[in-house]
Amino acid sequence: MESLTPMIDGFGVVLEPANLLYCLIGVVIGMLVGVLPGLGPAATIAILLPLTFSIEPVTAIIMLAGIFYGAQYGGTITSVLLRLPGEASSVVTVFDGHAMARQGRAGTALGIAAIGSFIGGTVSIVALSILAPVVAGFALDFGPPEYTALALLGILLVATVSNGGRVKAVVAACIGLLLATVGQDTFTGAERFTFGSMSLADGIDFVPVAMGVFGLGEILYNLEERAKGATAPSRVANVWPSRGDLRQSAGAIGRGSVLGFLLGILPGGGATLSSLAAYGLEKRRSKTPERFGHGAIEGVAAPETANNAASTSSFIPLLTLGIPANATMAIIFGALLIQGVTPGPQLVAEEPELFWGVVNSMYIGNILLLIMSIPLVGLFVKILRVRGTILAPITVLITLVGVYTVRNSVFDIALVIVFGLVGYLMKKYGFEPGPLVLAFVLGSLLETSLRRSLLVFDGDPTGFLTRPISGTLLVVLAVVILLPLARHLLRARRGAPDRQHEDAGT
Amino acid sequence: MTTPSAEGPGPEPAPPDAGPDTATATSTDAGAGAGADPDGGEAAEEHRPAPAGTTANLVVALVITAVGVAGAAGSWSLGLGSAAAPSAGTWPFLTSIAITCLGVALGALARRTDDAEALSPATWRIAAGVATMVGFVALISVIGFEIPSLLLALVWLRFLGRESWRLSIATSFGIVAAFYAIFVGALAIPIPHLL
Amino acid sequence: MAQVMGKTSARRGAVSAVAAALTLTAAACGGNLSGGGAGGEFPSGPVTLAVGQEPGGSTDLIGRALAESAADDLGVAMPVVNTPGANGALAATELARQKPDGQNLMVINASLTAITPLAVPADEAVDIADFEVVTGISQDDYVLVTASSDLDTLKKLTDTDKELKFGTTGVGTGSQLSQELLFKEAGIPGTAVPFDGGSPTLTAVLGSQVDVAAIQLGEAIEQVKAGKLTPLLTFADKRSEFLPDTPTAVEEGYDVEVSQYRAIAAPKGTPDSAVKRLRTAFESAFATDAYQKFNKDNLLKAHEVEGDKVVEEWTASLKDYRATTEKYDIDLGEEK
Repeated sequence: MESLTPMIDGFGVVLEPANLLYCLIGVVIGMLVGVLPGLGPAATIAILLPLTFSIEPVTAIIMLAGIFYGAQYGGTITSVLLRLPGEASSVVTVFDGHAMARQGRAGTALGIAAIGSFIGGTVSIVALSILAPVVAGFALDFGPPEYTALALLGILLVATVSNGGRVKAVVAACIGLLLATVGQDTFTGAERFTFGSMSLADGIDFVPVAMGVFGLGEILYNLEERAKGATAPSRVANVWPSRGDLRQSAGAIGRGSVLGFLLGILPGGGATLSSLAAYGLEKRRSKTPERFGHGAIEGVAAPETANNAASTSSFIPLLTLGIPANATMAIIFGALLIQGVTPGPQLVAEEPELFWGVVNSMYIGNILLLIMSIPLVGLFVKILRVRGTILAPITVLITLVGVYTVRNSVFDIALVIVFGLVGYLMKKYGFEPGPLVLAFVLGSLLETSLRRSLLVFDGDPTGFLTRPISGTLLVVLAVVILLPLARHLLRARRGAPDRQHEDAGT
Repeated sequence: MTTPSAEGPGPEPAPPDAGPDTATATSTDAGAGAGADPDGGEAAEEHRPAPAGTTANLVVALVITAVGVAGAAGSWSLGLGSAAAPSAGTWPFLTSIAITCLGVALGALARRTDDAEALSPATWRIAAGVATMVGFVALISVIGFEIPSLLLALVWLRFLGRESWRLSIATSFGIVAAFYAIFVGALAIPIPHLL
Repeated sequence: MAQVMGKTSARRGAVSAVAAALTLTAAACGGNLSGGGAGGEFPSGPVTLAVGQEPGGSTDLIGRALAESAADDLGVAMPVVNTPGANGALAATELARQKPDGQNLMVINASLTAITPLAVPADEAVDIADFEVVTGISQDDYVLVTASSDLDTLKKLTDTDKELKFGTTGVGTGSQLSQELLFKEAGIPGTAVPFDGGSPTLTAVLGSQVDVAAIQLGEAIEQVKAGKLTPLLTFADKRSEFLPDTPTAVEEGYDVEVSQYRAIAAPKGTPDSAVKRLRTAFESAFATDAYQKFNKDNLLKAHEVEGDKVVEEWTASLKDYRATTEKYDIDLGEEK
């Protein structure tokens, strides 16, 4: 970083009234869009593109960026309150977030999510400002072998994340992996399990699976409650996290920010992996991991912090290299092009005002979102006061219509109903939905990266170890798998003589 | 692997078959016996059906094994390639084999599994709920989303939720109006609509 | 008291319910279910422009750039609707099912009709002759780039004895076809490494995960200008004005001419009057300064030819590619 002048000038740009206004508009729209499951920031930005024609490039991007990370805040709300994850990055929040809501701690969950998101986002922006050029190069070093290692790590974390019956969790995960193969094979063009349907040619989208298995599945399951009294609304105890809650989550938030920032830079899959990795890390570090999945506050703080940090750092490849990391970035790329600004490696040098204007607007945007969250959390939590019997059809319809908005496809509505049934059956027969959905997301990343790696290595798997990054990751993976096994074996050996002692004693 | 029942308040002898056996579907015991409820909290107050019997668990295991076998068959026809040069069918085949093996394992554990629930008379409500959704998706392209949404909401509120007619009708119209305003009005989503 | 109140509001509720129901049925003439109005003037309402790709991609942006101005000329709205799937095949199939009254259009890619049929079974292939083409839009060239200094000239590429890895943007794309043909004709040993679209391929070649890749000019130009990528050759018919020093494959003696084209298509049977009116609308969009700047910024060459010419050109391309791939024994999709 040569001098601080461009960065400070950037603040000047942000504090112009027009830019502040559009920042506010952006984050509000983003938050609302995030609350609506199905419609994602990508589609919203596409709809709003014409609006950007008549305004300055900086202003336009400030607004669009606001929509993007605002949607992350909004997505948490339906995950926690209605068990409907609208985006892949909100899935992990559902586990503990919804559990907390059922215990009457929805306000705490939403509150800690807002705080964590704010901190994660802000840390990420600071890191971006300082490290952007350095880490951009790092992103390019991640090739197929590295993604394979990451995906493997992710799948391992999926196993960590689940509670209860191991066999059933693995079954769910494997079914998720199988579902991910539906569609046209990237490498050969062969149609896999599409049964001739063109709507399945591109594979099953994440949203019908997640909303069906989590949202509809849960609603159908609750229909089986016999007594009407069982649908009484949960008590809403407290609205904002206590000091104790904050202290408990501090570590999770800190670690989540770093993890989220690093993983978000990687094009493709960064945000989901970051929330999963943060959650898995917290659960493993915790002295009381059995709390996770039943309302552990770190289980909400970690993924929420991570996914906001990741969504901020996913701007890095776009702004420093000119490569969009995900669908939303692609549209922002398009919006920039329409404005006559071509994102590329020279953007920072050629248009410093634009770069710093956008980056600095994120500070303001995050602050605005935190401020807005304060009254909104109280408002949204009141939704839980509504009787279950009324909330149910509303949720069902939001799901059915929301899933349509993803691809403007009625077929997706049929899909979400099928997965709703699957979700109900899974819940009834003791299978957790989490592993299925997460394995579904990671499965295609794993397979395509693995096959690409084998193409690059000409079929020689030792190639994984010859590359520094993938080699390191695989070693970490091996350690993570083998360490608990080794510990278990040692304990068993040490424990056996003790047990004999005990038996002799009784 | 420790049997899950060790975590609950004392194991219940699983009933020999898991039909809609209303006699055994006593509330509170069933609620606690349905072991691993992932949502914690209010489990004891919910009135859940009894744990599923061995037959039901076997059926579940069978279904899973069938899925695995079907997947394996489908992958086979796509070509299996080799470990070094995987083809379109390699990965799905491996996954399907894993599913098949796990399905068999579940079958072996069928007697000891108690984190599943039996079907109960309330299951017809699920069928009704799903039927409304199927009706929705069938009708939406023909007559737009307004009427199917209205009917779905009405059924859920009045028949499944046992709310009063007045509340059901008013709420249903309210929902459709709100959806229209948001999705068609504000967001201009090209969902098939009548108005 | 409360009970009486309850009864009156119940009655009120019932009355408003009936009124609403009547209004609903009365208004059923509107909405977007029945296609168009009863005969008469074209356009009889908003003209939907479908895009078979995700929002943000080049095809999508082109559609949006045109929709605004064309809508102004037509006097009705032109909403852009994304229905991604199978590189546009899904949108094309849905378009074919619409009423041929000019109210439904699509931005269609040449690669869908001229290259993808070589990679998918016959019943999934889309034939441009099955549609009424309103107008051609523009041409988008492919450039072969590399980040490796060992391969930064064409001679180094053709002389290499190392087995190269070339990145493609997917199966059935121009990127795959152009490289497969080039490598076969030049006798360069190479393996295709497919990615999902332009951005991941660009990232891979930038990071030297693959040796070379064919990318659309608009996507790669900034990296070339910044010196991060070296252009080896383009697969266009003529040298690109944006890369005057880069030869075309044809110039270098290789019979590989692959470019992406886009056009506006309507269902077959759309009346001539509607097609002519639409063409006029799009022509007015082509003429705007904003659109011309858009083309320049995205390195697109205008190719605003008549619909019939488009069908002719794309059908000829398919025939040509089929012959060439058979000649060199190249199979784009894996035959089972």
